[in-house]
Amino acid sequence: MTFNQFAFKNLMRNKWRTILTILSITIATLTIFGVLSVDKGYKMAVEEELVNNTGVHLYITLEGCPMEAASVIAQGGISPLYVPEEIVEKIDKVEGIKVMMPFKIFALTTPDGLRTDIFFGVTGEIKEIRPSWKIKNGSWFKDENSIILGYTIALTEKRSIGDKIYFEHFDKEFEVVGILEQNYTQDDGAFFLPLNVAQKLIGREGKLSAIAIQVEDVGQIEKVKTSLQATLPENYFVIPSQALSEGVLEFFGSTKAMMVIMVIIALIVSTLGIMNTLLMAALERRKEFAYLKCTGASGLDIIKLVFMETIIMCLIGIFLGVVVTILISSGFENFLRQHLVVFIPKARIVRVGFDTGILSVVIIILSGLLSALYPAVKTAKVIPMEALRNE
Amino acid sequence: MNNKIIELKEITKIYKRGIEEIYALDKVNLDVIKVEFLSIVGPSGSGKTTLLNIIGCVDHTTSGKVIINGFDVSKAKENELTKIRRKTIGFVFQQFYLIPTLTALENVEIPGLFAYNRERTEKASELLDLVGLGKRKYHFPSQLSGGEMQRVAIARALINSPQILLADEPTGNLDSKSAQEIFSLFSKLNKNGLTIIVVTHNTELAKMTDKIILLHDGKIIE
Repeated sequence: MTFNQFAFKNLMRNKWRTILTILSITIATLTIFGVLSVDKGYKMAVEEELVNNTGVHLYITLEGCPMEAASVIAQGGISPLYVPEEIVEKIDKVEGIKVMMPFKIFALTTPDGLRTDIFFGVTGEIKEIRPSWKIKNGSWFKDENSIILGYTIALTEKRSIGDKIYFEHFDKEFEVVGILEQNYTQDDGAFFLPLNVAQKLIGREGKLSAIAIQVEDVGQIEKVKTSLQATLPENYFVIPSQALSEGVLEFFGSTKAMMVIMVIIALIVSTLGIMNTLLMAALERRKEFAYLKCTGASGLDIIKLVFMETIIMCLIGIFLGVVVTILISSGFENFLRQHLVVFIPKARIVRVGFDTGILSVVIIILSGLLSALYPAVKTAKVIPMEALRNE
Repeated sequence: MNNKIIELKEITKIYKRGIEEIYALDKVNLDVIKVEFLSIVGPSGSGKTTLLNIIGCVDHTTSGKVIINGFDVSKAKENELTKIRRKTIGFVFQQFYLIPTLTALENVEIPGLFAYNRERTEKASELLDLVGLGKRKYHFPSQLSGGEMQRVAIARALINSPQILLADEPTGNLDSKSAQEIFSLFSKLNKNGLTIIVVTHNTELAKMTDKIILLHDGKIIE
């Protein structure tokens, strides 16, 4: 029999107490791992959607609040502040701009109320400014009745090139002229229309949601931004896409704070659970530990034994917690999508990763050992005869 | 050549109960020679268990000297006492202190685990054969009789090959037949070279030992 086997068999003496403690560790792991996965996933998803996958360096908008701007720019959020098309001429004169794309974006709920569709009014510059935007089948718009579908929406609507698609809201029929390659962004679920058609459909002729800009030299973003601000009227905002994502993440901070509180509560509960289990076990086995000391076990041996019992419970709890987190991550993702009040990116926001897993394991093991410290030291201090004398 | 394995010199042990001082042992002197089989008898409260605990290095004296194998343990540090308990002394108690979730074999192994004894499993198996429980190695304590459990406890006390075996009322919970068997086992172990000190109430069994020490009010009477 090894030391580990001895510790394991000790835990088996009160199976239910051990199982309940392991369960509390499982829940703590689930909470910590889940929250860390959301924290990492949300940040990555926002950056991917607003920065990395767009090729856009700056946005010009009338919305100063990054959260509102993100809502308008990326999700077709409603804003009374529209950028007039005339401003495009002024921007065109600013040096350092490689590509500029004025666009219109709006969202509409389907008549059955089950889905919200995003419509983009775009110009040909989209192909330059967003490298991941590629037509897989078909071609660019032929006329005012043309529509291009994102990869997923084409599958959902079961449409292919040449098919007609009718929108009750506009009482208008379009012909599918193109279907995009899958690029794992919100493009996959969007409808693309010529800019002027999109504006006309919602009665906003000559009005834009924002203007996306790609600079010639990434190192000159700040310089171009300053030039744009000097050129545009005071009520215009030039927002770097990075700032847009940081702004969104800042708003996510309050949600994150709630999640951190959940983590702390879960940790406290599991720590107290482990401490309670070990203390109870230590008190019950006081005479036995005293006997072990009579037979030559040192205080350090006893501490080692209690720590070993803790580590065994932690490892089982962690294993279960990690497995459950992985299994429920999709459900957790859907739950968050339904309940998050901040910007919701298209990409996965719950990303279970090796690094977050390791961090969760370290946190749980450390809190486990911390909770075992007091019972271990208390047990190690048992004076052999004091325990045996009380018979 | 000094043949003494245990030397007690003027041992006094006082317990305090409030302002009252109780002399559990009062200037006790005792020499135990190697491979002696000794019993300590006396009425309840006479100091038998206290004396055994002091010899076993699990209790401290108020005054006096305890010398085990030529080493003065009276002022030894805790880690030194641990080493003596681990290597030199084996304990058997009236309560068996067997761990219910471990088999007889595993229970015997435990002190070997703390002594980092690599041959502990083989040794435990041999000891169970020695105490007549070769066929009960994989039985749990709940499957053993009182006498069998005490024999497991004796085997456990011997796993680290101690020179001295201390037994505190080892037959207190056993019927007379089992008690007789335990004392016969002690005699056998003693003949194999083990020094044994047994605290007992049973004067008939005490007669099976080489020497009887009678304690009364913390003093050796004879």
